[in-house]
Amino acid sequence: MTGTGLLISAIIVLIVGAAITALVAKHRLASGYVAFFAALIAGVWVTQLAFAVLADGPVHSASPLLYFPWLNTALVFEVDQLSAVFLLITALSAVCSTLYSIRYMLIYEEYSLARYYPMLLLFFASILSVLSVHNLFFFIVFWEIMTLTSYALIVFAKHDPEVRQSAMIYFVVSQTAVVLMVIAVSVLYLHTPAHSFAIADFKQALATMMVAKPWLAHFCIGLFMVAAATKAGILPFGFWLPHAHPAAPSPFSAVLSGCMVKMGVYRALLVLAVMMPLSAATAVWGVLVALFGTASMVIGTLTALQQSDTKRLLAFHTIGQMGYIWLGIGVGAALLPTHPELAAFGFIAGLFHAINHSLFKGLLFFNAGAARYRTGTRDMDKAGGLMRIMPATTAMAIIASFSISGIPGFNGFASKWLIFESSLLAGFHMPLMVFLAIVAIFISAITLASFLKFLGLVFLGSLHIEPTVQRREVPASMIAAQAVPALFCVLFGVVPLLPIRYLYQAVAATLSSGPGLAFNALFGDSALNITLRTSPGGTVGAWGALMVLAALAGCLLLAYLISRIGRSQTRQVPVWLCGEEHPSAEVRYPVHSFLLPFRRYFKWLYPSVGIPKLPRFRRG
Amino acid sequence: MTAAINLGLALLIGPLLAGTVRKYLRARLHSRQGPPVLQPFYDLFKLLGKEDLRSSPSPVVIYGPLVALAAVLGAALLTPMGTQAPLGQYADMIVFAYLITIAAVATVMVGLSSPSPYSAVGAGREIMMHIVVEPVLIICLVTAAFKSEGLMMWDMAQWYHLHGPTTSMIVAAVALLLALQAQIGKLPFDIAEADTEIMGGPFIELSGPRLALFQWAAFARQMVYASVLAAIFIPWGVGLAFPLNILAHLATVVAIIAFVGLIDVVNPRLRIEQAMGYFAGVIGLALVALVLAIAGF
Repeated sequence: MTGTGLLISAIIVLIVGAAITALVAKHRLASGYVAFFAALIAGVWVTQLAFAVLADGPVHSASPLLYFPWLNTALVFEVDQLSAVFLLITALSAVCSTLYSIRYMLIYEEYSLARYYPMLLLFFASILSVLSVHNLFFFIVFWEIMTLTSYALIVFAKHDPEVRQSAMIYFVVSQTAVVLMVIAVSVLYLHTPAHSFAIADFKQALATMMVAKPWLAHFCIGLFMVAAATKAGILPFGFWLPHAHPAAPSPFSAVLSGCMVKMGVYRALLVLAVMMPLSAATAVWGVLVALFGTASMVIGTLTALQQSDTKRLLAFHTIGQMGYIWLGIGVGAALLPTHPELAAFGFIAGLFHAINHSLFKGLLFFNAGAARYRTGTRDMDKAGGLMRIMPATTAMAIIASFSISGIPGFNGFASKWLIFESSLLAGFHMPLMVFLAIVAIFISAITLASFLKFLGLVFLGSLHIEPTVQRREVPASMIAAQAVPALFCVLFGVVPLLPIRYLYQAVAATLSSGPGLAFNALFGDSALNITLRTSPGGTVGAWGALMVLAALAGCLLLAYLISRIGRSQTRQVPVWLCGEEHPSAEVRYPVHSFLLPFRRYFKWLYPSVGIPKLPRFRRG
Repeated sequence: MTAAINLGLALLIGPLLAGTVRKYLRARLHSRQGPPVLQPFYDLFKLLGKEDLRSSPSPVVIYGPLVALAAVLGAALLTPMGTQAPLGQYADMIVFAYLITIAAVATVMVGLSSPSPYSAVGAGREIMMHIVVEPVLIICLVTAAFKSEGLMMWDMAQWYHLHGPTTSMIVAAVALLLALQAQIGKLPFDIAEADTEIMGGPFIELSGPRLALFQWAAFARQMVYASVLAAIFIPWGVGLAFPLNILAHLATVVAIIAFVGLIDVVNPRLRIEQAMGYFAGVIGLALVALVLAIAGF
């Protein structure tokens, strides 16, 4: 099999898998294994296809699968380099989350898994389809299937009224976004020369509208962007996100953050870089995207600092991290008309962070889920110090937290670094971007604080659990599901040029105006060390990951040698509490006191409106 | 060669600066004799030989101190000290700022892993100080980057040497000098350790070699942060012949540390929220520098 055959077979495998899991749902473990193997087969095929596309260029199916003559539209699967990047994200997310689900879903004893695995597999099938149609009619159809299946998965634990309410918020918000998209598509459809839904025709229609009716063209673009921002969790449109993530079962929270919100990024990129004709207006939209991204980054991350529920904390950080991605893309679009080489940095940075975010945020939800699996609570005050009983999960949680906080050597640093560099370099031409970059760096310090709190209270410190909790690590399949993304977090952190090389191709193929400069002219000649250049000769930024990390390892050895100079002996002693004796629960530093002076002093930084709440739709 | 110079300066000059400032400045202002100049070294080597008492078996507590010292030494390799840094062409200002952050991360993680509540309080304070102080460093360096149109630290130093003093860079230098006091944990900002209040904060449960590593990291950090200020904002020695450029750099660093030591002696410790208020002001000053740079001053 080659080309779109791989994709179609992957979708069929997922649908067949959904049918089988629906039939065998009574056998809870068996249906988990079926779902995992279906996702694994589909994932391997999709990966094979994505790498083929990144190497040899786009593919499309030879004959249409469906044809609606009355709408002049046909279902043709088409995969280009940009969708290949997102297909890879989806494949990894699908494999890891189904593997994790096998054991994790056993804790939901009172619910039938017939409402979980079939929906999950259909959800992945719909995402694969959304990514590979270049026809807005089928795009919306598949987008709607994605929304409905994700709603069904969020509302899975339906006996809890809070879950039902959160899911309802999600449902209403995403349906509104779909309506906006339908309006925009209908308007544009009427303006296409041949009345078709193909993206190429829409592009042409937008170009003529820009001249004839510019306000209508920008209105349509605005509707598309609002719909994309809603899915991506960009505030003020993405307020469903902190409600829906804690409500969903942990493996699906990982998919929501790791995979589904990225569809908003894909949508935004399609509009900004593919559909919209390149003009001065592109820069205005870019600045708007960057501003909204920065606002979400600030509000999301600062609110996260207030949380004591692990999954809610992670959900607010998703809003914050999506803000970083939008900042990168916004910088790219803002500079597209004038400085294509800096625009390439911005787009690559945004895409790279999207990939990295799907890796480390998926992993973090798995970590939080593992803590929930063992202790039965998501409250950081009720369970802590899990390192004693769950060393492997703690190691993964440390990797994930270091990645999201941007510690050099982990993938989050590489992409955040590229986002900072692109916005700082953009700032030399557009000073606003310098200030956005500084806000981003400040927020990155707050992200670090928040994850040190998460690590410190949930995993490090002295063990603090209910006496009934089993003192064991989580099952091996859940550890394996965490180890895969953790491995990529480290790999992309140490060798960032590996993914960047592919992303450059994706961005170069997507931008009609090209990336400005060749790969080596932008990122330097070395295969391992990045040296950023905007003009031949002058290096403006550098991250020689391998050199610096090797030097750091040398310094570590030196520090070890220094520590052994005196050949001191070690001895275990009890903790010293100023001569008094207290049980460890009494002297525990509670989560609400943590960083309290900061939150109090910088109250004015916090938005006074808060996250808007929808009225209750159903009585609990 | 240059790597050895930078590591040597960080490891040896750091404690030596602490010794001289303590002996000549602090003791004289207190009208007393003071300890010998090499006292910090005596302390370090004594600690390295003492018994290592462990109240927590956590690997974070055991390896954290190594990471803290290694991160500071790694940052020293990226810092221009009179000449281009040994790894200068492999890292820019962002990498430097994030690499030296690892030392703070190690401190906080060690603090949170220890069962003592004082330690958790100190760790929380360390994070809060980091949040408010780090932006000052970044904004000042971005100001220099705006001037030299690049993010490489050595290019900034060379640009400033060539184009002479500018208003924005002087304002940025003042802001960075004010932040330095907290970056190297001196009074009135030694809030995280606060010996007389929370008994060393994150370090309360450490002893022997692991305490020595943290102390040595703190000494080396003084040298690294003071070097950034000296190399980029006061680069008068750039372009001199080999030993002279490093000596010129050292002279600037000594002057900076002496100034910081003077403030340390004559001030009481601030409360954490007072310190945050103060640094909100310093961030404002740094932003003024940046706006001036954008406006072309």
